[in-house]
Order: sequence, then structure tokens, then C-alpha cells
Amino acid sequence: MTTRFCLICIFLCGVCCSINGQSTPADWLQQADSLAGAGRFFEAGIVYERTLFEQPDAPLQLAAIRGKIACLKQQGRFGAAVQYLNGEVTNAYPDSVLLALRYEQITCAYLAGQFENALSLLDRLPYLHPDGPTETTLTSLIRVLSLNELQRWPEAAVAYRQALSRAGADTTQTPYAKLPKLKSEKKGQVLSTFIPGGGQFYAGKPGEGLLSILVQSAGLYFGIHSFLAGYYISAWGVGAATFGSFHAGGIRRTEILIRQFNDKQIKTFNANVRATLVAIMGQ
Amino acid sequence: MRFVAYSFWFLVFLSGQCLGQKSALFGREWAFAQYLTEREAHAEAVHMLDQLGPLTRTPAQHDSLNYLRGWVAYTTKELTVAHQKLLSVSATSPFYTRSRYFGAYCLAFVGNRDSARVVMQTLPAPDSTLHELRALQLAGAALLQRRFDEYAEQRTQFRYTSYAMANEQRRFDRYDSTLRAEKRRSPLVAGVLSAVVPGLGKAYAGKPKQGLAAFLPILSMAALTYEGLRKDGPRSARFIGFGSLFTLFYVGNIWGSVLSVKVRRNEFKREYDNKILFDMHIPVRSMLLN
Repeated sequence: MTTRFCLICIFLCGVCCSINGQSTPADWLQQADSLAGAGRFFEAGIVYERTLFEQPDAPLQLAAIRGKIACLKQQGRFGAAVQYLNGEVTNAYPDSVLLALRYEQITCAYLAGQFENALSLLDRLPYLHPDGPTETTLTSLIRVLSLNELQRWPEAAVAYRQALSRAGADTTQTPYAKLPKLKSEKKGQVLSTFIPGGGQFYAGKPGEGLLSILVQSAGLYFGIHSFLAGYYISAWGVGAATFGSFHAGGIRRTEILIRQFNDKQIKTFNANVRATLVAIMGQ
Repeated sequence: MRFVAYSFWFLVFLSGQCLGQKSALFGREWAFAQYLTEREAHAEAVHMLDQLGPLTRTPAQHDSLNYLRGWVAYTTKELTVAHQKLLSVSATSPFYTRSRYFGAYCLAFVGNRDSARVVMQTLPAPDSTLHELRALQLAGAALLQRRFDEYAEQRTQFRYTSYAMANEQRRFDRYDSTLRAEKRRSPLVAGVLSAVVPGLGKAYAGKPKQGLAAFLPILSMAALTYEGLRKDGPRSARFIGFGSLFTLFYVGNIWGSVLSVKVRRNEFKREYDNKILFDMHIPVRSMLLN
């Protein structure tokens, strides 16, 4: 009887203590780290937030923020990470901590496709941290890649050389000596206006060009033939209408094809620069 | 015997302690979920609130949980979940007033207009400002259902002096007169008009550009058919081909004109419903979120 009573008391005390025993921020952080280690980034992100909610001391706070950012990055939520850091960098952290957070913010902005934002954040760094090392390998890399994505080639070329010289690499040969050859939409439109199918040929789609020539010629032929045979309405309503529709459509199609061609060229060039730069910087 | 009695009371004491601590734990976890909501970490807040279910013991805790879950759902525009959760908050909760107003609005937004009206009739209105807000909500619900007499009844409570809703009240009056004056176009008349002059039915329905766009190709088809008839006779392939196309376009345009009356009517309804819902929403937000 007494033994059973004692066991019940121990159990209840244990339960109460486990409920009451509020975990310290260090406990939460440890739990978050183990969740992140197990690849459960969403849950880990919540527990990192919990660490911050429990108002830990400065080192734990920074560890929790970094953990939270890492979890957001692992989930591919780069935009959310930028937004999160926008709030954090306004807090009164030591300068070194703020600088570290701003590096993270810049990286996440680039990864989220916010290239203008990434450049703006990079430009603000020297003013916000005049004593800090504001140009690092990472920031140089992000500057070049962001400028590339925005097609600001001359500035990207300068930044590229600076990045290479910082890394101690050869700066004489850069990919910017051979920029991607982009086609002019206006030229394509003019070609399509005066030479049916010419715009599509210029955009690198000869198959579509031939088809366009064929259909427009058929419309024209039908129109002329009908006119000569005295079918004036058919000449206008079918022949001219077919020719006119496909002619106008061909001009619009040329614009789209040239845009697609240019996008492809830019993407290929940017991918090459990125691969080259990462290889050099990684050495 | 005395030992057993002591033991019993000790166990009762321990159990009480545990319940008290569980309640404190709920409060802490709820505060954390609210903190996540304020930081716009909505997915994380929902995850936390779902975990809180088993810790909920008292009606007050249920209310707090339902309120916050409903609020997160409202913020993330899951309005069906929002009205379900918000409207299950009981009258004893400190969140009751806010929950009822937002829950009723969500109900109206998702299209349950009758239920929304019933809920709005019982909205708490302890002071004159909330009384007027309730009248505004009921007036909005009446307009949404085009119950103009009911709207006229509710608008008698408008004072047009509150900064938070005077503009909305004036706009409601404008919507009321526009909706009352709405001309009910007839699909039959539109069809007949399009049979007489292709495209005229669409213009009558309120879509003149579509009418012109329908008229021109039909006119071309008619001209081609006429040319085929005049030149090659009624048995010619040209006449039969273009004639068939003309017939197809002609009949299709009549049917399209009938439908365009309904389309225009729906567009008009949707446009005004959105305006009314917007003007119902703004005062609720500005008066209950501050």
C-alpha cells in the first residue's frame, strides 16, 4: 500500500515538474539544433523562434537568429528570410553581429531573385559599417552576379575584375570581352514587315519563317486570283484578310521569338560567368 | 486509516498543482503562437496552435485557441476556416466582440449571406459606436442580398459623423440608388436584336465593342455568300461554303448575345458586391483593431 502510494507520488511529482519545469533558452536552442540536424527545418525554425521568444542572452539570440535563417534557406524561403532579417537588422545588436546579419540579408536577397535589393544592400554596407570589412569574397560574388542578372554589363565587368584581383586571380581574361550577342526586336519587326517570314529567320527559327511565307503567299495568291476572276469580295474578305492577319501575327511572333532568343543567350552567359567565378573564388 | 486520508488529500493537491501548471503552460504556448502571428509567421503559428489542442482544458482556453486560429486564418485569407473558428468563440471571452464582427464579415465574404445576416443581427453593440457599426454591417448584408427595404430600415441608424464609417455610409447610399436603378436587360430582347442586326444584342447588353467585333465578320461572311450566290448560283460550292459559315456565325452571335446579358449582369453584380464587401470591411478593421 505504502509502496504504491509512493510510486504514485513520484509519478505525479515528475509530471508536474516536467510541465512546470520551463525549458531555458539554451534548452530550446539545443532542441532546435537537433531538429535542424535531423532535417526537420520547419519545426526547427519554430523552435529557434521559441528560443528568441524566451528572451535569451546575446550569444544565444544570435545563434537562434542564424539557425532560423538557415532553416528558411533550407526550405527555399529566401524571400521570407529577407523579410525576417529586415526586422532583425533594426535591433540594437553589436556592430559585428549586425554586419553578419546584413551579409545573410544580401545573400538571401540574391537567392530570392531580388537583384536590385541585393545591390542596394551592398551599396549601403560601407555607410552602415565604415569600420567593418564590407567587401568580402561573398559580397563581390553577389555584386557581379546581381549586375549580370540585371544586364548591367559594364559595371559587372568592373566588379568582376575587382573580385578576381581580390582573389589574386588573372584579371586579363574576362568573359565580358565577349558579351552575348542580343538581337534587336525593332530590326526583327522591320524585317517581318517588309519580308514575310524574314523576322522569324532573323530570330533563328527558319521553320516558322517558311511556314509564315507559305501562308501569307497563299493568302496573297488567293486574293489576286479572286480579284482577276472578278470575285472582288472574296479577294478582299478572304485573300487580303488571310494575308493581313498572318502578316500582323508574324510581326508579333517575331518580337516574342527574339525576346526568347535573347533571354536564352543571357541565361547561358550568366551561367558561364557564375560557374567561372565560383570556381575561381572557391580555390 | 488516517494514513489513507492524508494520502488522498496529498494526491488531490498534486493533481490540482498539475492542472494549474498545465493552464500556465497553455498560456505560455498561446502567447508564443500570438508572437508568431505578430511576426507574420502564419504557417508556424498554425502548426503551434494545432499542437495546443490537447493542452486545452477550460472553455476560456478553447475560446483563446479558436480566436487565434480564426485570426490567423483570416490573415491568410482562409475565410471558411476563419468564420468557423471565430464564430465558435463564446460570449464570456474577451475576444468575443472582435471574433463576432470578423466572423460575420468572413461569412458574408464566402457567400453565406443568409447566415451572415443572422449572425450580424446578434452582433454585440454595447455602445453607440458599435451599434452604428452593427447597423452598417446589416445594411451591407441587405445590399448584398438586394433587400432594399431592409437597407432603408438600417440606414435610419446612420449618423454620417463617425470618422471610421461616414464615407462608407455615404457610399452605401450611392450603391443603393445605383442598384435600385439597375436596368434589367432581357436576354430575349438581346437575341431578337442580334437576329435583326448582328451585334446589336451585345450592344444592348452593355458590350458595344463586342457588338462591333461580332458585326464585322458576319457582314464579311454575308458579302462573300452574296457574291457566291450572284456569281456561281445557289448550287455552287462557294455559295454553300460561305453560306454555311455565315449561318454558323449568325446563329452563334444570337446565342452569344443572349449569354452576354447574363455575363454583363454577373459582372455588374460582382463589381457591386466587391465594393459593398470592401466598405463593410474597412470600418470593422479600423474600429476593432485599434
